[in-house]
Amino acid sequence: MKQVKMAHRLLLRTVRSLSVKETRCLPTCTRITSHSAYSTSLRSAAHRVSFLSSSRSLTRSSQRKVSFNVQDQEDFTERVVNSELPVLVDFHAQWCGPCKILGPRLEKAVAKQKGRVAMAKVDIDDHTDLAIEYGVSAVPTVIAMRGGDIVDRFVGIKDDDQLDSFVSKVIGQ
Amino acid sequence: MPPVEKDAGKNELKSRIQQLIDANQVVVFSKSYCPFCLKVKDLFKELNVDCNVVELDLRDDGSNYQEMLLEMTGQKTVPNVFVNKTHVGGCDKTMQAHKDGSLQQLLNGEAEAYDYDLIVIGGGSGGLACSKEAAALGKKVMVLDYVVPTPKGTTWGLGGTCVNVGCIPKKLMHQTAMLSTAMQDARKFGWEFDETVKHNWETMKTAVNNYIGSLNWGYRVALRDKKVEYVNAYAEFIEPHKIKAINKRGKETFYTAARFVLATGERPRYLGIPGDKEFCITSDDLFSLPYCPGRTLVIGASYVALECGGFLAGLGLDVTVMVRSILLRGFDQEMANRAGEYMEGHGVKFIRKFVPVKIEELEAGSPGRLKVTAKSTETNDLIEEEYNTVLIAVGRDACTDKIGLGKVGVKVNPKTGKIPVNDEEQTNVPHIYAIGDILEGKWELTPVAIQAGKLLARRLYGGSTLKCDYINVPTTVFTPLEYGSCGLSEERAIELYGEENLELYHSLFWPLEFTVPNRDNNKCYAKIICNKLDNERVIGFHYLGPNAGEVTQGFGAAMKCGATKEQLDGTIGIHPTCAEVFTTLDVTKRSGGDISKAGC
Repeated sequence: MKQVKMAHRLLLRTVRSLSVKETRCLPTCTRITSHSAYSTSLRSAAHRVSFLSSSRSLTRSSQRKVSFNVQDQEDFTERVVNSELPVLVDFHAQWCGPCKILGPRLEKAVAKQKGRVAMAKVDIDDHTDLAIEYGVSAVPTVIAMRGGDIVDRFVGIKDDDQLDSFVSKVIGQ
Repeated sequence: MPPVEKDAGKNELKSRIQQLIDANQVVVFSKSYCPFCLKVKDLFKELNVDCNVVELDLRDDGSNYQEMLLEMTGQKTVPNVFVNKTHVGGCDKTMQAHKDGSLQQLLNGEAEAYDYDLIVIGGGSGGLACSKEAAALGKKVMVLDYVVPTPKGTTWGLGGTCVNVGCIPKKLMHQTAMLSTAMQDARKFGWEFDETVKHNWETMKTAVNNYIGSLNWGYRVALRDKKVEYVNAYAEFIEPHKIKAINKRGKETFYTAARFVLATGERPRYLGIPGDKEFCITSDDLFSLPYCPGRTLVIGASYVALECGGFLAGLGLDVTVMVRSILLRGFDQEMANRAGEYMEGHGVKFIRKFVPVKIEELEAGSPGRLKVTAKSTETNDLIEEEYNTVLIAVGRDACTDKIGLGKVGVKVNPKTGKIPVNDEEQTNVPHIYAIGDILEGKWELTPVAIQAGKLLARRLYGGSTLKCDYINVPTTVFTPLEYGSCGLSEERAIELYGEENLELYHSLFWPLEFTVPNRDNNKCYAKIICNKLDNERVIGFHYLGPNAGEVTQGFGAAMKCGATKEQLDGTIGIHPTCAEVFTTLDVTKRSGGDISKAGC
């Protein structure tokens, strides 16, 4: 188990250096204004990603709703980190206006892929530790995960076309 | 001995110095004639500690030692003190370490024994500022924050009173009320809109709390980015350097630190009468109240009471304020009364010289109906009245009684719960400091706590000597007509300087924006207090009018620079503004001259 963890970390490091691009995007990440009291830091170097469990559940059905709400850390590990499918993780908050616009758009883009990609929703106030651990600074933040690794991410709002191409890129990888 | 030229010689010297440091409990590199060195040597003598002194001026290779010490410690000057293999520094650092107890720990070999360099108890404005600054200076820092729910069950996120149940929601709700005035004015300026204008409490409450949610998150992210460890748990001292942290699931964890900063803040005081905790709310509940409070009784005349009563009335609610004695204790009373008169003139009812004795619930609901019984402070009169909501705002108590301060010997004023500190925010226990609202005799203001916290961290870990200046702190009370002040109240100035040594200049004024709607003439008021013994330096600044915070801030800077009446007179006003009144004050209060204003 420990070795698997190590392997994952190494893999992550490699993947990060090769393919994680900082997808800088429109500064619409906070509910109130783009210059709200929390500064939006988009540095991706600060991510600390840990893997609590790396055992893969090979039996999981691929028939799911377009998105699911992450219940806790364990649920996240099982359904996101260990997912066979690539997963888009939508970190959002109740108080965040842009999140309410992005969420449905992202669900639409994911639905178009007919089960080739999953979508997880994480409320950052309910699951602060997860959001802190994954380096979320502003919301909405969307992280694309594949095989437990972060392969891409963006912060803020995107339009349908941009989301479609983001999602296809994640699947294509 | 020839100067050290080769690396070999240099390395040899380095290992010789290192051996000295390793082999002795205390090493002082000194010069025999240096008074600071003497002071340090005397200190160790006094502490009865053997110290190995190397007098550099009495050695031929002394300057080589000094060069090498510079390389090893970044310090060229003497004395250069090492205790148990740890570099302490020069005279000031050693004395400071002695004062705050860290020298004793070093001598006892406890240096590395703590989990953290600094633990800050309380994640409000002061605690967060202090912890972030300390972490930025390379220290290992932890912040603990825990909100004990109100009797009504209200709780909130990271950031303390100001962000969650103070300045931020207060000013946003004040703004909500001001918009109502603006709408009334708008018709006079030609705006035409439907007669029915309603306010939706829930919409306001949600919008305000959404913004607060984003601030809570921002603080959490800032702690992560600054590498401050955050624990959502209630901290309590169990030993001088050890705390117990209890999280909301009741799990106990223990942490130790070399130093502590107390920044626990205050919470609203209850009345201690039947029904107060069961049926009344405080400002801790008001800002997230899920329903409109309806007919409201505000008990108290603190700034919290007047601000809350003011904006509730501004939302169109029926508001009564019950006052025991005076308004805004501690503030300039002339200003306080003028602010109160304005409220009274704008629909807020005042019941003076009465105190509540009993609160009963007539009907539960959102809001329900409450019966308040109050008695006169002068006669035996009793009054009974019905309200939907009773808001208690009679003051706040420092959260210092349940954090184990007795166990570690931190002195607390038994009457007020406040903590006395020296001018460096240090309590009587040298390694425990305190900042913010819990300090005795200091301002209870967010920016003061932030400044004190930041400067404290810089003094402890950044070699700074700058202390927090608690003099000439500008502040504003957001009553319906706002009141900004800086420096002394008239009462305090008279007490300190004597009436004969003061000159007070004052004026009423009518903001241009009020003229077209033709409202509130001669309600706004400006006053400065000048010290005649000191070139008429401005020692008190008072402004009652729109945008008081914006107006007062700049004059606060001027007072920090020591502004005099002459300099204010020499300042060109910005026309047409309210603030310009301070550049043309020419009526002294003593003269009794006419101060009403009309036109340009």
